Amino acid sequence: MNLPNYFLADLPPEAALTPALIDEACQTLRRNRECYLAHRSTQSLVQVLCRVARDWLEPSDPFRQFALEQSPAATGFPRATLARGLDAFFKSLTPEHFHALLEQDLGHVRRLDELTSAAPERAARRAALATAPELLAHITAGNLPSPALAAIVLGVLTRSAQFVKCARGASLLPRLFAHSLYQAEPKLGACLELAEWAGGRQDLEAPLFAAADCITATGTDATLAAIRPRVPAAARFLAYGHRVSFAYVAAAGLAGRQARQIAAQAAADVAAWNQQGCLSPHVIYVELGGGVAPEGFAALLAEELERLEQAEPRGELPVAAAAAITSRRGFYEIRAAHSPDTRLWCSRGSTAWTVVYEADPRFQLSCLNRFVYVKAVKDLSETLQGADPVRGRVSTVGLAAPAAGMPALAAALARWGAARVCALGRMQQPPLAWRHDGRPALGDLVTWTDWEQESLET
Amino acid sequence: MDSNRELASFAARLHREIGPGQDSPKQTRAAWPAFNPLALELFALQFAHNPLYRRFCEARGARPGTVADWTEIPAIPTAAFKAGPLSCLPAAARTAVFHSSGTTGQTPSRHFHSADSLALYEASLRAWFDAHWPVAAGPWAWVILTPPPDQAPHSSLVHMFETLRRARKPAAAAFVGRAAEDGAWVLDVDAAWPLLQSAAAGAQPVFLLGTAFSFVHLLDDFAARGRGLTLPAGSCALETGGYKGRSRALPKAELHALMSRRLGLRPDRIICEYGMSELSSQAYDGEVGPVAARALPGLASPGARRFRFPPWARVRIISPETGAAVEEGETGLICVFDLANVYSVLAVQTEDLGRRRGSGFELAGRAALAEPRGCSLMAV
Repeated sequence: MNLPNYFLADLPPEAALTPALIDEACQTLRRNRECYLAHRSTQSLVQVLCRVARDWLEPSDPFRQFALEQSPAATGFPRATLARGLDAFFKSLTPEHFHALLEQDLGHVRRLDELTSAAPERAARRAALATAPELLAHITAGNLPSPALAAIVLGVLTRSAQFVKCARGASLLPRLFAHSLYQAEPKLGACLELAEWAGGRQDLEAPLFAAADCITATGTDATLAAIRPRVPAAARFLAYGHRVSFAYVAAAGLAGRQARQIAAQAAADVAAWNQQGCLSPHVIYVELGGGVAPEGFAALLAEELERLEQAEPRGELPVAAAAAITSRRGFYEIRAAHSPDTRLWCSRGSTAWTVVYEADPRFQLSCLNRFVYVKAVKDLSETLQGADPVRGRVSTVGLAAPAAGMPALAAALARWGAARVCALGRMQQPPLAWRHDGRPALGDLVTWTDWEQESLET
Repeated sequence: MDSNRELASFAARLHREIGPGQDSPKQTRAAWPAFNPLALELFALQFAHNPLYRRFCEARGARPGTVADWTEIPAIPTAAFKAGPLSCLPAAARTAVFHSSGTTGQTPSRHFHSADSLALYEASLRAWFDAHWPVAAGPWAWVILTPPPDQAPHSSLVHMFETLRRARKPAAAAFVGRAAEDGAWVLDVDAAWPLLQSAAAGAQPVFLLGTAFSFVHLLDDFAARGRGLTLPAGSCALETGGYKGRSRALPKAELHALMSRRLGLRPDRIICEYGMSELSSQAYDGEVGPVAARALPGLASPGARRFRFPPWARVRIISPETGAAVEEGETGLICVFDLANVYSVLAVQTEDLGRRRGSGFELAGRAALAEPRGCSLMAV
């Protein structure tokens, strides 16, 4: 597949970006938005987005095929892992999900189109219109592509012109998605720009920040701290920092065939995007007292990870990442030889997957790439004590528990500050209406105009 | 025979083989045909007397009867020195311990020593140092950029510098670093500057010893104050270790270029050392010739240099994925098989990446931090 040079990111690597080029691109984006996008209806944009998403789900889709062909070299993900990640993302783009998102974040599906009222507003004789930024700049992280794709989707929905600054070596999937939008509707594509440079290029970022009405950034806390002071006062800055996730498996229901099913769900969450995302579990907490003990659950999880490795191999790693796994395994091999409170299961002759069982409930950061901790706990409150060092930075908690026990667990996790609670096995599949890190992703983009219709009685 | 006598007998034999160093540099350079039998003998002893290591080997299905070659001896990752006491010494005999220089708050590696094992460590480090810094090469005064031994009792590097200082008895020597309250090392630039300044004014060569980050601190301070000097001909430097976040990290070539420019050191007289608290032997990437000697070709550029351990220690570069040795020139994890590690574990898998080049090796970075890409690691 030969991608035409629609975007700066399509240019050959030797083509040097300059501040003037960025500035010019921003002006063009604004003009194109005014001509082609500003007056589109939400409904028509939802239709285009859903059509493009359906295409991406087709095995014969050339963009999808190209993305898979170029993997793992250009994306860092083995084909099966990428295919599963793309499916999870594009399946979430349906008209129903868009309507749910609009209702949830903006209170009305036509909120971006006209002054309109939800029921409570109607009662108060009020109406409101949500307006989005004209030019939206995204600084995206390189760990996995779905947040960048989601950012583009929301920007299209809000009729914003968008400039996507991709992380070094991570532009292929955002580019392919942008090209697929361009193919579906060239005028829509003309309101998008993508470029790739190493973060911190102030010469390039200054004109971008000066032009944008709103800047979203995903990355390390250090990256965000470096960007924040450079954002002009008039622009809105939406920062998505580092988050971690874990899972909790309740004792009730943890027996027999169901225990294996739960282990398979946990394995799926560990393998999704090779554990690279903030929504991937570092630790699976397992409650004591079930038909299968936490240590036995770790053994089941190891079997499931081995099974997944056959179907969806993790693939090769850079030598430094493999070395991190090898070193950490060695640490736990010795600890396991030293104490019965630690056990280790790992793939033979490779670093493909690792399960470390520890009786100690303290939260541990995994070195990722399918390396997961299983920790024994008395109950959820011991889990939350163990996870205290990451309190306030937890994105997702995957739960496996009987339905009757769920509401109490979810309420306790909500009070503790977890931003999202979901079923185990779905940790890396947030719905479109997901409140990203506890904030409404769409709602945060818009600015409101309120119209109070009540006139003074005479 | 109890454990201490068997190990002590091995240590004594090895000590004799290593020799006193200065008198027999040639011998220390010759390859050791006895390496394999000695390694297998020591592996059997450590398997018998280091309970943690034995269980580690058993879990990997390796034991003295099944291991036929030194390359098959299971290597302990350095991280494992944090997980438990990897020592053949009974608790009462552990009179000294060296810690890795980790980040504050992390559990450090612990490498225990007794009087016997320290004596062997010192013999090993002296012999290989002497092979690279012949006495005839001078110099007269030593400026050591680390804290003194009383402020860093658990640093194997400081112990090494102090051992060398006592052995060589330079006319003058000063430790110009100090340990801050949190244990971090700081360079006392105000102590270093007058020493270097008066040395530069004289004719006697100076020997600077320090970690890469201590040299960066010194040179950054020089740059901030617009300082620079030319040390007398024959001056030289030993530079070791990584940065671990304690100063801005400089590529080696850039650091050496700065050392040449601001200190007047000839590039071929800046030698790198590769060592760690978990080992008892070190590797060097060059040797210092006599003061008057011409620059040695190949030593001028750090990129062309190769590290070499003494003959009683050997290196394998392995694939972290499979554990098998990688081809020459390919990047892998550095494993060191150090016979002088008699009382702990002779086979150590480091967290450093390297490439084999001929009979030596070059460094190629470190194992990745456990840090998600695009995300930063929080202090947990």
